[in-house]
Amino acid sequence: MERAINRQKILLDHLRPTSSSDHNYEAALSASNCMAGDSAAYHRTSAFGDDVVIVAAHRSPLCKAKRGSLKDTFPDDILAPVLKALIEKTNVNPAEVGDIVVGTVLAPGSQRASECRMAAFYAGFPETVPIRTVNRQCSSGLQAVADVAAAIKAGFYDIGIGAGLESMTSNPMAWEGSVNPRVKEIVQAQDCLLPMGITSENVAHRFGVTREEQDQAAVESHRKAAAATAAGKFKDEIIPIHTKIVDPKTGDEKSITVTVDDGIRPNATVADLAKLKPVFKKSGTTTAGNSSQVTDGAGAVLLMKRSVAMRKGMPILGVFRTFAAVGVDPAIMGIGPAVAIPAAVKAAGLELDDIDLFEINEAFASQFVYCRKKLGLDPEKINVNGGAMAIGHPLGATGARCVATLLHEMKRRGKDCRFGVISMCIGTGMGAAAVFERGDSADELCNARKVETHDFLSKDAR
Amino acid sequence: MPVFKTPFNGYAVKFSPFYEHRLAVATAQNFGILGNGRLHILDLSPSPSPTPVTELAFFDTADGIYDIAWSESHDNLLVAAVADGSLKLYDLSLPPPQNPSRSLSEHTREVHAVDWNPTRRDSFISGSWDDTVKLWTVDRPTSVRTFKEHAYCVYSVAWNPRHADVFASASGDCTVRVWDVREPGSTMIIPGHEHEILSCDWNKYDECLLATGSVDKTVRVWDVRSYRTPIAVLAGHGYAVRKVKCSPHRRNMVMSCSYDMTVCMWDFMVEDALIGKYDHHTEFAVGIDMSVLVEGLLASTGWDEMAYVWQHGTDPRAT
Repeated sequence: MERAINRQKILLDHLRPTSSSDHNYEAALSASNCMAGDSAAYHRTSAFGDDVVIVAAHRSPLCKAKRGSLKDTFPDDILAPVLKALIEKTNVNPAEVGDIVVGTVLAPGSQRASECRMAAFYAGFPETVPIRTVNRQCSSGLQAVADVAAAIKAGFYDIGIGAGLESMTSNPMAWEGSVNPRVKEIVQAQDCLLPMGITSENVAHRFGVTREEQDQAAVESHRKAAAATAAGKFKDEIIPIHTKIVDPKTGDEKSITVTVDDGIRPNATVADLAKLKPVFKKSGTTTAGNSSQVTDGAGAVLLMKRSVAMRKGMPILGVFRTFAAVGVDPAIMGIGPAVAIPAAVKAAGLELDDIDLFEINEAFASQFVYCRKKLGLDPEKINVNGGAMAIGHPLGATGARCVATLLHEMKRRGKDCRFGVISMCIGTGMGAAAVFERGDSADELCNARKVETHDFLSKDAR
Repeated sequence: MPVFKTPFNGYAVKFSPFYEHRLAVATAQNFGILGNGRLHILDLSPSPSPTPVTELAFFDTADGIYDIAWSESHDNLLVAAVADGSLKLYDLSLPPPQNPSRSLSEHTREVHAVDWNPTRRDSFISGSWDDTVKLWTVDRPTSVRTFKEHAYCVYSVAWNPRHADVFASASGDCTVRVWDVREPGSTMIIPGHEHEILSCDWNKYDECLLATGSVDKTVRVWDVRSYRTPIAVLAGHGYAVRKVKCSPHRRNMVMSCSYDMTVCMWDFMVEDALIGKYDHHTEFAVGIDMSVLVEGLLASTGWDEMAYVWQHGTDPRAT
């Protein structure tokens, strides 16, 4: 009889949907890949026609703001050659590009949007191709790439460009107008106004990152960047820029072609850096030497649907897998990557160990070292060609720059290097990260294997 | 169109994968709550005749039968999911006293679903209210494996039509799980509905698509490669959706039946997804099937003790 009562109850629950939420199983569950074999979705990653792939990623040389080779170049003249190169190197018909999204941070919004539109014309795009800007502070370039990937995935268009542009010469960091006095009511709002260097000091202080560790990281960054430049590793990704430069003393103007990053100091030593004074706090540890450089530069990434790329016979540099942006305490905004990277990697169904290469933006050595230690990453896998402390950090362009650097390095490393991650911290307390995969390494779909012949478990079946 | 009156309440109906005129109907006394069960094997007449349906055989069980599946390798073999927790194999070529040819009693509660593997044709799976799914082969007296992860009744199990090792299970714990029998645990958890999920079925043309039916009155279609949001939410049933079935002939067609007593046909790729609604049942419609051998031939059964077979687009009651 009890059995009959139970059956009745189960069937009645089907008719009383409200009562079934008593089970409340869904509260503890979220959509997730489960462990399957050695590493979850790893098995299931495969080539699908609707994957968003990167067919080209390039950048301008990154040059020191106000003193570097691009100091007398208009911002649109930094972006235009990079956009143009994407078209020239791939022979894509520019009219087929569905949208261009440019990450850019410091310049006044509307003016920069106009400059980008003009840059597209200089680059040879027809009037029919739209363009817009996006600003998620230091991750704007990566956000632009993610936005384009999302739009392609959504079916808005099949081909798009995610780019980034920053001229810190023309647009220094500054606050315009007065600050709302209400800001005092909420600590976190107030902390949004902290100079970035102070947040770096906070990270160093709170998590015990020493001056020595920071200086060491800066020296490493310079050493690796110098080695990469000397070995010609950046040649594939850098688009030379033909421009003019004015001699500050004589006022003479001359034409130059900029082909290399000019902020790298191959001879930097820990001893030299140790002499520098802290900039933001007397007893602090953040110096000009172990912070990212103030830089001019641009980057651009051409994305399309895999099926379109195959049809056009394009080389597939990488696949855009996942993107995650997260929020953290604004007072220690530098910890962003330590939160964002696990989020993006999990969304891709991977484990941190599956990632073969990282580009983590070195906004400050303090936060960079913290994130590396917090996630327990192998230093040999991070910023193998140097980072922002040596090459520079043109805020809005950094994300796109990292895509170019990461994917070209993955290409050089071959099939052993399958997954790459880009991440950066974001002023006002956020972090962003994206997972990329090599274009040519797709497994056989493990649980989607075609059954060619029947492999019967018993002998009498047919 | 053929109509068959069953003495007990209908629970499931399945066309034979070998003979276009043959189908099986599973029934249970007193709405499956208390009493016996009976499995009917029916033959349809090829041309209009005074007796459009003849009963080839029937088998009685000591408890209600909740589901049935035809063997994919032997035309005379089928397996019944019985409410007493057993799975019973019937061989139509054997004389009646020798049936059931085998009874597999391992589930500790009602077995609610059974599905025969269409690609590796000697195995089948069963889903039970004891929260487990079990894998069986015809030549073994005991189950090969038990899959225990669901936290509540498993109502439905379905093999992937293309991949011999992959199946999905739908449960009252509000999740659908995708399993690979070579893996130790489920390979995917899809918390597909806010309420109990009563049914699931794979698309027969796209091995990544999965349809689910729930107490929340909707049918949802999922792409298992990006399962955070459904591809389609098909709303139209007035009560819990009891079963969903993907068409063997048209990629985008899904059939469903519900406690609202109707059987619905859907095209999940168009905006007005509901392409047909049949209200021939006068009690809960709980069993449906689509013929693999005859395009558009549908069957349904329900608690009104009726089993209907009809061509899509025609009235099931028209005789």
